[in-house]
This record gives sequence, C-alpha cells and structure tokens, in this order.
Amino acid sequence: MLEVQGLTIRADGRDLVRDLALRLPAQGITALIGPSGCGKTSVLKWLAGILPQGLGATGTLRLDGAPIAPPHRALSYQPQGDALFPWLTIAQNAALGLTVAGLPRRAAHARVAPLFAAFGLAGCEALYPAQLSGGMRQRAAFLRTMVQDSRLVLLDEPFSALDAVTRLRMQDWLRSRLQAAPRAVLLVTHDLHEATGLADRILVMAAGPGRIRAEIPVPIPQDQRSEAALAPLRETLKTLLLEDPPR
Amino acid sequence: MLMRVLTPLAVFAALLAGWEAYCRLAGVSPLVLPPPSGVLRALVQNRAEIAPHAQATLSVAALGFSLSVAFAFLTSVVLQALPRAERALMPLFVASQTVPLVALAPLMILWFGFGLLPKVLLVVLVTFLPMLISLLSGYRQVPQAFVDLLQAMGAGRWTVFRRARLPSARPAFLAGLRISATYAIVATIFAEYAGARRGLGIYILAAKNNFRADLVLAAVVVSAGLTLALLALLHLAARLTARGPEGQAPDA
Repeated sequence: MLEVQGLTIRADGRDLVRDLALRLPAQGITALIGPSGCGKTSVLKWLAGILPQGLGATGTLRLDGAPIAPPHRALSYQPQGDALFPWLTIAQNAALGLTVAGLPRRAAHARVAPLFAAFGLAGCEALYPAQLSGGMRQRAAFLRTMVQDSRLVLLDEPFSALDAVTRLRMQDWLRSRLQAAPRAVLLVTHDLHEATGLADRILVMAAGPGRIRAEIPVPIPQDQRSEAALAPLRETLKTLLLEDPPR
Repeated sequence: MLMRVLTPLAVFAALLAGWEAYCRLAGVSPLVLPPPSGVLRALVQNRAEIAPHAQATLSVAALGFSLSVAFAFLTSVVLQALPRAERALMPLFVASQTVPLVALAPLMILWFGFGLLPKVLLVVLVTFLPMLISLLSGYRQVPQAFVDLLQAMGAGRWTVFRRARLPSARPAFLAGLRISATYAIVATIFAEYAGARRGLGIYILAAKNNFRADLVLAAVVVSAGLTLALLALLHLAARLTARGPEGQAPDA
C-alpha cells in the first residue's frame, strides 16, 4: 500500500496542487484523470522523484506505513511516449533500469532475455527502436519498466502517441500482462475510454489548485467492460470534469 | 546516391572547362591566370618538391586538430557540469575567435618561434570553439523524457550525462567536427605563411614571390585535397562508430 499525504506542489508562489492525499492498493490499476493543468503529471513526477526545477513540493510518501523518499526503487516510472534510447538495442533499452541500478550488464541481459517472448518481442533483442513499429516500441518500454520489479508502476499517458487501433490492442495487452504479473499501477491519462476500460479505480482531480475531487471505483469485471456497460460511468466522469470551472 | 556524387562532380567539371576555355580563348597570360591544365602540369612536374611541404602541413594540422578535439571534449564535460563556469568563460572563448588570424599568426611566431608549437596552437585556437559549442548544444538536445527516465531510475548527474547527454550530442558533435576539420588545414597554412621552414604555407609564399601562379594554385589543389581527405576520414570514422540500424545512423 502506497500512501501520499499533504502533498502540496508550488510553482511561482502559487499552489499547483494543494494538500493532496491518495492511497494506492498493492494491486490493480488506478487512473488519475483531470482537466489539463490540474497537476496530475506533477503528482506523478513527484512520486517518481523528477519534479522539474522551479517546482517545490512538501508532503509525505509512505510505503506500507514506512516513510520513503522519491526516487525510490519500489516505484518505476514510464514517461510519455516510449523514451527508448535510439542508440541502444531493444535488449539494452530493456535492461537500462537494471544496469543503472548497478547490475552488471551480463546479469541484466540474462534477467531481461526470458521476458521478450511474453512481451511479444521475441527476435527483436538486437534491433534498434527505429526498426520497430509503434506498438512494439511501447511494449519494449513496458518491458523496461516491468523488469525493474518495482511494486508500483507510474505511467504517464503511455498510449498517447499510438494510433487508435494500436492503442486498443496495447490496452488489452497491458490488461493481460498485469493479470499474469500483478502489481499496482498509477495511470495518468486524459482519455476517459482508456481510464474506464483499464482502471479498477478512477481518481478525478480538480484544478486550481489541484486536488482529488472524487474517487470512483469501477465495479465491472474486465471481461464485461463493453461500450454499453461503461457508458453510464463515463457520463458520470464527464459531468464531474465539466463541473470543474475553467480557470 | 549516385546522383549525389555525380551532380557536384558535373558542376566542378563545368567550372574547370569554363576556366580552361577562358584562358585559351581570351589569351590570358599564364603568369596571371594559368589554365587548369597548366596547374595540373605544374603539380605533376613539381610533385616531388610539393610532397614534403604537404606532409609537413598535414602533420601539423592533424596534431593540432587531435589536440583540439581532446581539449574541446574535456572542456565541454567540465562546462556542462558547471553552468556558472560556462557563463563566465563562454564570452572569453567567443572573443578569442574574433582576433584576426593575420594578427595572431605573426604574434604566435614571435612568441613561440618557428617550431611546431605556434602552428599547433593556432590550429587549436581556430578549431576549438566550433567543436566546444556543438558539444555543449548537443548535450542540451537530449529529450527531457530521457533525463526523467534515468533520474527516476535513481541515476545521478554523471550517469545521466554518460547514458543520455553524451550519446545525444553525437550528431551535433560530428557536425562541429566537420566544420573544424575544414578550418584545420587552412589555419595551418596561415601559420606557415607567417613563418615556417616547411609547409604548404611557406611554399605558396615562395611561389608567389617567384611569380609562379601555377605553383600557388597547385599548392591550393593539394590543400583542398588534404581537407577532403580529412573529411572523408571523419566520415568513415563516424560510419564505423555509428550505433543504430544501417542507413539510420544518428549522424546520417
């Protein structure tokens, strides 16, 4: 269980996020949605320990009750897009988190190698990112994130750069991947379809200053999430987001 | 690919043909403007005399250029870690480029004599800044997502530099390298012109004093050849060290 309390993020003397609290259970996907500028990406970056210079933050972060300071090994972060290094092979990209953490290159590659098939990347180990399709690159980025064996995965709009069809495929794929290897995911997205289709719980942020406005569970089992079943929930979310007065 | 080679070659051949035709048809004295065929003849006839001069120029240029690359790289590594030092030193580096070579070359000879040192220093001075600037701007071209990713993985500043900034700077560095390489031979010739025992610069001076325009131009041809050879060598080195799929190398 990961717990954030009293998170305030300040920029230029004003509060971007004020006194935000959230809890993430040990498993399942939590989506964080909100109008643009509400500070959802800043919250994610604070958790990842990469808040940009010029932003100040106060708040506590606890993992199973014990205070931790980001960046922390228990949390792995995946930036928007795939952020694969073009000069590294897919295997080297996938092993990046491990080698940065100090694991010798050979050992890191041995850890990554057996996972390629499960991520639909068998035979791509020696290729470079430019040689892969958008979906494959995204899966390589997930492989790099997941192999770090962190308990919590922070995803910043992971599918935003993909075309609509690839995005749907990747969402299905991520769902099945997480069923095979469960862990906690915090997903920042602006896409209501993505949030309702993937998440077990949706946190709706309000802007000015950013705070959690509502926490909405998604009680529909994954295999029954049809367009029709999700429509009422999306309406509720839309209403909540539109109620938030524009700044 | 073939067109990329053929087009400039065709333009070059047309220019030479025009020059040759002008010399022959207008009856220009070869003492003033020798035709390309005359330059070529002078080059072939005097090749044994020109070769050691070319060799001297090449060694100075190569030594100065290598030192300059190393110096620019080390400086860039230090400056990217110390932004305040970069702000303090950059105007000084830029100012050093505004000193005219005509003034600097004789001063270097005056201060350091006719040996290797003043010439190498001049080459370093001329070629250093383009490389330094291209490296520093290359380090800044790293996508923020790469830096975020590494920092979230727990990487410190040095790891971020080594893993992301340095490889991101490669295309910019190669561009700076090519610019500097073209300056290297010219700077050497300038230094030699101001005073040397051997080298294309001093050869050009002697040929000019003997009213041998054909030999001056022959030396120019050799100097252009040396620069092109240096560029070809850099291109080859870039190709050999490229990491990425064929034809999509970061510097392509």
